[in-house]
Amino acid sequence: MKDTPLSNCERDFLLNAIGEKRRLDGRQTYDYRNIKISFGTDYGCCFVDLGKTKVMAQVSCELITPKENRPNDGIMFFNIELSPMASPAFETGRQSELLVKLNRQLERCLRNSKCIDVESLCVVSGEKVWQIRVDVHLLNHDGNLMDAASIAAIAALSHCRRPDVGILGEDVTVYSPEERDPIPLSIYHMPISVSFAFFQQGTYLLVDPCDREERVMDGLLMIAMNKHREICSIQSSGGIMLLKDQVLRCSKIASVKVSEITELINKALENDKKVRKAGGRCGFAQSMPQERITALKADVSPVEMAGIKENANEIVQRAEAPSQSVPSPVLPAPGTGQVGEGLQTSWGLEEKEEEEEEEEEEEEDVQHVVEEQGRGDVVLISDSDSEEEEVVILNQEALPTKGTLSKQQRAADSKQQRAADSKQQRAADSKQQRAADSKQQRAADSKQQRAADSKQQRAADSKQQRAADSKQQRAADSKPQQKNKKQ
Amino acid sequence: MLNSFKDKIGDVLLPGDVFSVQMPESITDSKPEKIVCGPGLRRNGDEVLVCKSGVLRHKPPNLYWIDSQQRRYIPVKGESVIGIVTAKSGDIFKVDIGASEQASLSYLAFEGATKRNRPNVQVGDLVYSQLIIANKDMEPELACIDSCGRANGMGVFGAGGLLFKVSLGLVRRLLAPQSEITVDLGKLFPFEMVVGLNGRVWVKARTAQQTLIVANMLESCENMTAQQRQVLFRRVADGSI
Amino acid sequence: MEVCGSSSPTLREFGCEQNLLSRPDGSSSFIQGDTSVLAAVYGPAEVKVSKEIYDRATMEVVIQPKVGVPSVRERAREQCVRETCEAALLSKLHPRSSFTLVLQVVHDDGSLLSCFLNAACMALMDGGLPMGCLFAGVTCAINGEGQIITDPTAVQEKGSRALMTFAIDSTERRVMMSSTKGSFTVHELQKCIAISQKASEKIFQFYRDSVRRRYSKTL
Repeated sequence: MKDTPLSNCERDFLLNAIGEKRRLDGRQTYDYRNIKISFGTDYGCCFVDLGKTKVMAQVSCELITPKENRPNDGIMFFNIELSPMASPAFETGRQSELLVKLNRQLERCLRNSKCIDVESLCVVSGEKVWQIRVDVHLLNHDGNLMDAASIAAIAALSHCRRPDVGILGEDVTVYSPEERDPIPLSIYHMPISVSFAFFQQGTYLLVDPCDREERVMDGLLMIAMNKHREICSIQSSGGIMLLKDQVLRCSKIASVKVSEITELINKALENDKKVRKAGGRCGFAQSMPQERITALKADVSPVEMAGIKENANEIVQRAEAPSQSVPSPVLPAPGTGQVGEGLQTSWGLEEKEEEEEEEEEEEEDVQHVVEEQGRGDVVLISDSDSEEEEVVILNQEALPTKGTLSKQQRAADSKQQRAADSKQQRAADSKQQRAADSKQQRAADSKQQRAADSKQQRAADSKQQRAADSKQQRAADSKPQQKNKKQ
Repeated sequence: MLNSFKDKIGDVLLPGDVFSVQMPESITDSKPEKIVCGPGLRRNGDEVLVCKSGVLRHKPPNLYWIDSQQRRYIPVKGESVIGIVTAKSGDIFKVDIGASEQASLSYLAFEGATKRNRPNVQVGDLVYSQLIIANKDMEPELACIDSCGRANGMGVFGAGGLLFKVSLGLVRRLLAPQSEITVDLGKLFPFEMVVGLNGRVWVKARTAQQTLIVANMLESCENMTAQQRQVLFRRVADGSI
Repeated sequence: MEVCGSSSPTLREFGCEQNLLSRPDGSSSFIQGDTSVLAAVYGPAEVKVSKEIYDRATMEVVIQPKVGVPSVRERAREQCVRETCEAALLSKLHPRSSFTLVLQVVHDDGSLLSCFLNAACMALMDGGLPMGCLFAGVTCAINGEGQIITDPTAVQEKGSRALMTFAIDSTERRVMMSSTKGSFTVHELQKCIAISQKASEKIFQFYRDSVRRRYSKTL
């Protein structure tokens, strides 16, 4: 998508207004927009609102092998995401010029300034070090992405806790937060980037330019500095000539802004710590403004359960009966089989039967049986004997074992017959009888009885009984089958 | 159906809400009433389907529509919009009107323009024009003259002034006859204002300061009740802001 | 056939903010307990020629994970959301244009897919895109004891043997999309659908309340 083009009238108005020392949102030349810093539910997640610009930073840690030339240093990795959420002009997965510029500047601001003690991230020299990954997501682009990103990244790093590790001989154990409290990163200082936009070949200067101001500016100067007034990086882009005085003046302004912002970050961190200590809730959900007309919240609400069971039962019962005839298997190519071609799925009923049979047996058991059943439906045609045997097991009727029939045909035949037979029978028998008998009875019996009984007892009772029942039945069933097989 | 519809006038409706057009049996003898569905309403067989969230509005005798606060403009024939010229190609200008496609504007569609006498329009200029072709299957087309060949207020903007974007809902409120917001603003100080139905507003006051005040006040009017707005305007008039 | 436990399932507290981003045409944040998602939508906007469809709008969904680059899991979820949106949107009204939906994970504490769906629906509504119906996402988990838990947290999801997410439509409460994991019986499935349909009513009511609140000053 393309961005809305900037009209000449906006450009002229902006430049004129800047000449008159006025800005679109009524700020003064050196004013920042409102900065709001909030933290997420988990450690190392930070949201920064700079006016309408919004970014989110997330820090994550991972154990990796270090670089060969620096076996004792942990690794810092920065990744800025320009998602189309922030601006229609951004695309995912494209290395745009802006992205490279922002990423590079963030790296220079936070990695090359050595604000984080990378040696403390070493676990086993040359083998295991922590990699600290910082993902910065731009959510809404209204200018000055760099400053917002740098504030979010450093605040997230200061908020981050990495898991504790223990070394016993050769073994490295990473403790979960429940076992041992995670430990914060050691941060020497907090570099913060401050952006200055220059207009009319450097005649006018604005701090914290918004989107439209950025579009008409001639050049941009980004100074990263910490509160000790140490410059961590400085970058000028746009190709304007700046005088020495201008750079010096900018660095003075930057030092004031940086100390203000550092104060703000520290206050936000402290607040968050207090809330966490008090066991209060924190995170994005809590930072949602309640008073806004566009926001609404609903409390925990129970879902009404009345009628749900009946409903579900009804649907299951209304489910279509499986078709009585099974079409002959389709063979796209020799040696391949196909499932369910032109056949309505009959799984619904079969599974239901299974459920009734095995009801509260262990899950595995049910699954197993279902699988078997399912296989009955699947037309398996293969040359291996084992497959056929498996097919035979399910068949209760006498097997047409004529040697003249080819294996495939036989399989197909038996399958049809068996499927038709067993299904009919089963459908007729078990459904009518069992459904009528056991369900009513059970429903009547067990519900009254069981409801009165405790759950555990019920489970135990029914399991024993039914397990015994079904085992007997199954044993009885399977015996003739085995005989069959031997024949 | 009309009764149920009428009950809902001024109510907030959501997409998927359905009204049946089926007449009750008792009044089949009376002539079936016609209704006209405006934006956000669609006929779906015997039903009227709401497809946008917003407030149901009604204009006598039988016009109904949904008033929403969306931002994206969808071209409608006959509406006046503010466009930004993005390219000149051959004998047409390409104009961005904030829709899904750029609109085309013939250089002959200006007052007094002939093949020899081309209008002076540069890339980046603003034009106030009317949509003469707008439907989902065709590229929208603009014209800066009415059917009599008169400019009638349309054409290229002069120098100065500020363009900004507000929601389409606010634009419609501004353009409503005797709109309170416009009247209240007009009491503060004199200024020129052009409102395009595509959500773009152009304002020019005597000074840049006043232009900015108007722009910021309009942007903040989006979510304000009439009372809150009047309080704000009074404070501005007193000079406290 | 007692599958449902004694405790009745609940939805965690949920909240929503609309129109919170200035650049997109529509935006929303949806919060379910600690799970939260940010959604932004553009449309109808211009479309790349390669993706142009002559008789309807192209729907694109992008899911941004919180850490790292999108993987197969995100792609699968994108598809779930996209198909739901395509079913709800009247894309025939804007041929040769694009609807783009961007979803950003803010925090994952279970039921993420349903949160995606709810955030998407609010954003589409906020953007004023034409829709035939609304949709709500509900996630159900079946734990080891066979209890159904609606709107599970990440811990509950981990301890579950089956996890299902349904998109329910607002007009007839039908299932528009389902995504399941783990094993369950047909009966359990039907029960989960029935519960989701009940739960979706709460969400639809919430949609209505929040839109009503938003328009309360222009009534």
